[in-house]
Amino acid sequence: MKKKKIGTVWLGGCSGCHMSLLDIDERILEVVKLADIVKCPIVDQKEFPQVDVALVEGSVTSDEHLHELLHVRKQATCLVALGDCAVTANVTGMRNYLKKEEVLNYAYVEAASNDKEGKMPQHPALLKLHEKVVPLQEVVHVDYVIPGCPPSADTIFYVLAELLNDRVPNLEQERKLKYG
Amino acid sequence: MAKIPVTIDDKPLEVETGRTILEACKENGIEILTMCHLEGIGDVGACRLCLVEIEGINKLLPACTTKVAANQVIKTKTERLKKYQRITTELFFAERNHICAVCVADGNCELQDLGYKVGMDHVRFPYLFPQANVDTSHPMYVMDHNRCIMCTRCVRVCSEVEGAHNWGIKNRGIEVRVISDFDTPWGDSTTCTSCSKCVNVCPTGALWPKTVVQGQLVKQPKMVSELVAKRKMNL
Ligand code: SF4
Ligand code: SF4
Ligand code: SF4
Ligand code: FES
Repeated sequence: MKKKKIGTVWLGGCSGCHMSLLDIDERILEVVKLADIVKCPIVDQKEFPQVDVALVEGSVTSDEHLHELLHVRKQATCLVALGDCAVTANVTGMRNYLKKEEVLNYAYVEAASNDKEGKMPQHPALLKLHEKVVPLQEVVHVDYVIPGCPPSADTIFYVLAELLNDRVPNLEQERKLKYG
Repeated sequence: MAKIPVTIDDKPLEVETGRTILEACKENGIEILTMCHLEGIGDVGACRLCLVEIEGINKLLPACTTKVAANQVIKTKTERLKKYQRITTELFFAERNHICAVCVADGNCELQDLGYKVGMDHVRFPYLFPQANVDTSHPMYVMDHNRCIMCTRCVRVCSEVEGAHNWGIKNRGIEVRVISDFDTPWGDSTTCTSCSKCVNVCPTGALWPKTVVQGQLVKQPKMVSELVAKRKMNL
């Protein structure tokens, strides 16, 4: 079998899903027998390359995430939504019941840690938050989902091993479904 | 009691008259998904999870509120029913704000368990993200409308078992909400006896005692079922 390529990306999430991915520990050796990990948040390369499997952590919260997700979709044969934020918006979606301005104001101006000197950041290079945070499947076609906050390392490894061996994972059958 | 013949999932059975389809299934070891049903309080057919197919009847009927009739041919596990169970479950999640990661009921929630049972890996409908309040005014308990699925178990247990009639319902459709007294803060209630029955029967993290934190909630819905059964013994 030709060696496959895996890429991972972190959108509106806390990096916890990537931490859980690292928790597969020495099983990473089994993964790299079948695939090269060509992109992840610590690979110094701007463009997300073409991959067989893309693991996408986090929700779509801003113009930058939207742009990146659309690009990853074009580059990936199989796009996997990794974790509750990617699948349901989860904690990142909790600002959806409030106005965006209220949330920004609270974080940058009113928060107690700001010593009353907080200012709203205005730099043009900063990403622009969307009014609503949405899970991946509301923006692009998602091929596989792994719910959980974070999903366990066992579950992530199981899904990767199945996909890399050209099998379709079945979380329900494996009793690996978990939210939260 | 007179017995009548019915067929459930191709099994010919003899069932006592007056039984609901759900009771008949339970007595014969046939599993049916339920949510609003709780042993000991009246059934209202609110959640639609227990829908069954009955030969000759065009629409699906809830097993918990439909009585068995002679010679009925009932099916509880068809592909059509499974499809609806999954949709119903997804709509529970899409309608309010379920953030399991920060919920007191995480790991001990009837709604989560239902999701796992119907194989829900994601929700295919857009989330509504409604604005829902959290009422913390009661000295001992919290009502978090974000996690309420409108099963009305709390409403029924409070009126039928505790006799306090604190909980009611306002509005319809997606605006529907459980209310305390005349839509006033729970802490101001003149009817609530703080008995905790509603808290214990609530299947989700909507009602919880202030003494618990994330993932620590333990509920005892059977406590109410047992209490009702014991009252009937007239000891
Ligand atoms: S009530 Fe249940 S499903 Fe809803 S957030 Fe809490 S644990 Fe999750
Ligand atoms: S604590 Fe008891 S009396 Fe108060 S609302 Fe709940 S069931 Fe009713
Ligand atoms: S608060 Fe709990 S018991 Fe009451 S209707 Fe909502 S989910 Fe059901
Ligand atoms: S259990 Fe029958 S409708 Fe809810």
